[in-house]
Amino acid sequence: MKELIKTEFRRNLRSLILWSSIVAGMAALMLLLYPAFKDAFSQMEEFLSIYPEEFLEAFGMGEGGLDMSDFYGWFGVEGYLFVNLIGGSYAAILGGSILSKEEDDKTIEFLLSKPISRDRILYGKGLVVAINLLLLNTLVGLVLLIAFTIYGDLNVPVWLLYSYAPFILQMIFASLSFLISVFVIKSRKVISIALGIVIGMYVIDLISKLTDEFEYLKYITPYEYINAVSIVNDETIKPLYLLISVLIITVSFMSAWFFYRKKDITA
Amino acid sequence: MIKLEALTKYYKKHARGILDVSLEIKKGEIFGFIGPNGAGKSTTVRTLLNLIFPTSGSASVDGNDCVRDTIEIRKMVGYIPSEVNFYDDMYVKDFIKYATSFHGEVDQPFMDMLVEKLELDLNRKIEDLSFGNKKKVAIVAALITHPKVLILDEPTSGLDPLMQSVFFQLLEAEKKNGTTIFFSSHNLSEVQRICDRVGIIKEGKLIKVETVEDIMKTRAKTVRIKTEDEITPNEHMIQFEKINGYVSFVYTGDTKSLISMLSSINIQDVTITEPALEEIFMHYYERDDQDERTH
Repeated sequence: MKELIKTEFRRNLRSLILWSSIVAGMAALMLLLYPAFKDAFSQMEEFLSIYPEEFLEAFGMGEGGLDMSDFYGWFGVEGYLFVNLIGGSYAAILGGSILSKEEDDKTIEFLLSKPISRDRILYGKGLVVAINLLLLNTLVGLVLLIAFTIYGDLNVPVWLLYSYAPFILQMIFASLSFLISVFVIKSRKVISIALGIVIGMYVIDLISKLTDEFEYLKYITPYEYINAVSIVNDETIKPLYLLISVLIITVSFMSAWFFYRKKDITA
Repeated sequence: MIKLEALTKYYKKHARGILDVSLEIKKGEIFGFIGPNGAGKSTTVRTLLNLIFPTSGSASVDGNDCVRDTIEIRKMVGYIPSEVNFYDDMYVKDFIKYATSFHGEVDQPFMDMLVEKLELDLNRKIEDLSFGNKKKVAIVAALITHPKVLILDEPTSGLDPLMQSVFFQLLEAEKKNGTTIFFSSHNLSEVQRICDRVGIIKEGKLIKVETVEDIMKTRAKTVRIKTEDEITPNEHMIQFEKINGYVSFVYTGDTKSLISMLSSINIQDVTITEPALEEIFMHYYERDDQDERTH
């Protein structure tokens, strides 16, 4: 299995480098813009007050929300979303293709003729997804470490949460698309569905914040679980959300395993 | 070594799989599994490797059940698929290393011998290889692990005649080492050339298992006559054809009646030969069709 993990990692390395650079680059870009906007915020507050409260809340800037003149608040509003959207997309694509690609390209026929069980194949590939996502977030974490140290005091819990909370969201998207890929063989189809979930969940997140009526929707969107407001203001992820996240990831992965071990590979 | 017992596989979407296939292949035997495309050859192979699960019945290799002990089976099996699909972005040498890694260390001298005989370039990417060269990679990857059992699904497709003969030499060497070979093919002459026994599969059912010798010994003869007389085919003449003044058919009746029939017509030229396996094969197919019609 060591060789499978090594080979999978090597085969996915180029896309890992590409996506990590994009995500970390976006974070760096947003943080570079911070000094230019910092002084504008006194006027901005006046400007923002013409917007309805729900609208500001949706972007984490409402009452009890984030302070944009503080760089932790600035990143929470301007950078964190990109990290989650782009990082989430990468996770969905990686999780959705790492298994289905073998069937789509018909290389699974080779792999399954080798003495390695389906359990180990799933386990090994799942591990490569987790490792890749951890690496991506570590790179983003490095960018944040540099930026936060330059701009002022480094708040270690906030820095760590900003760096690794997206890992939870990414793992949710990755495990969901991993499960889908057991049933939908065409990689391209899996990826479309998975990206649909990444975007769809963001829309649900917005709706849950914009309206009181649909506030309960926040429990089903991973963007809420790792909300920047609670990272900065409470320096924590709510235990309930953490529990839901772990449940989704575990159940998706176990279901994928349950169905895959009995599946006819007819590709 | 390989045992199929009433092995049956239905597909949900596709109508036909295999039905009630029973078969036993001895250690060190080369067994030809022949039938046209879609007859169920690949289904059988895929069940043996547990890519698919049997609907009923069972299959085993060296006493290991194809579902329960699939890892044990895959440890001892080398497999050459009909369509070679490997990781396009890998180099040949990395791929072979990867393929071997599941079994242990690479036997370098053996590897060098295989690569030289098959004239394989290790330093190319899989995606740049022709179909035939990909097949060579598959051959090396299957043989390099010194398998006890070789499962070959249309292994020669894509290979030029020279390489086919190199491949057959390699198989014969494997057989000498006691390797059991399951050789699935729709090309009868290659099966005839290398196999000890042959199983004929049609529409998912195994219709005949015989030694190649016995199959060639059937009374059927290929008859080719040059004559201007009119010959009316009787029930013993199958594959009856008339081309350019020549009449040819496979005669399945007894030799005496053939001679007396021939003596009654005005013959300019005649050849009577052992039929090629193809013709015998057609004979089984046609007879089976007739049986079905009469029932």
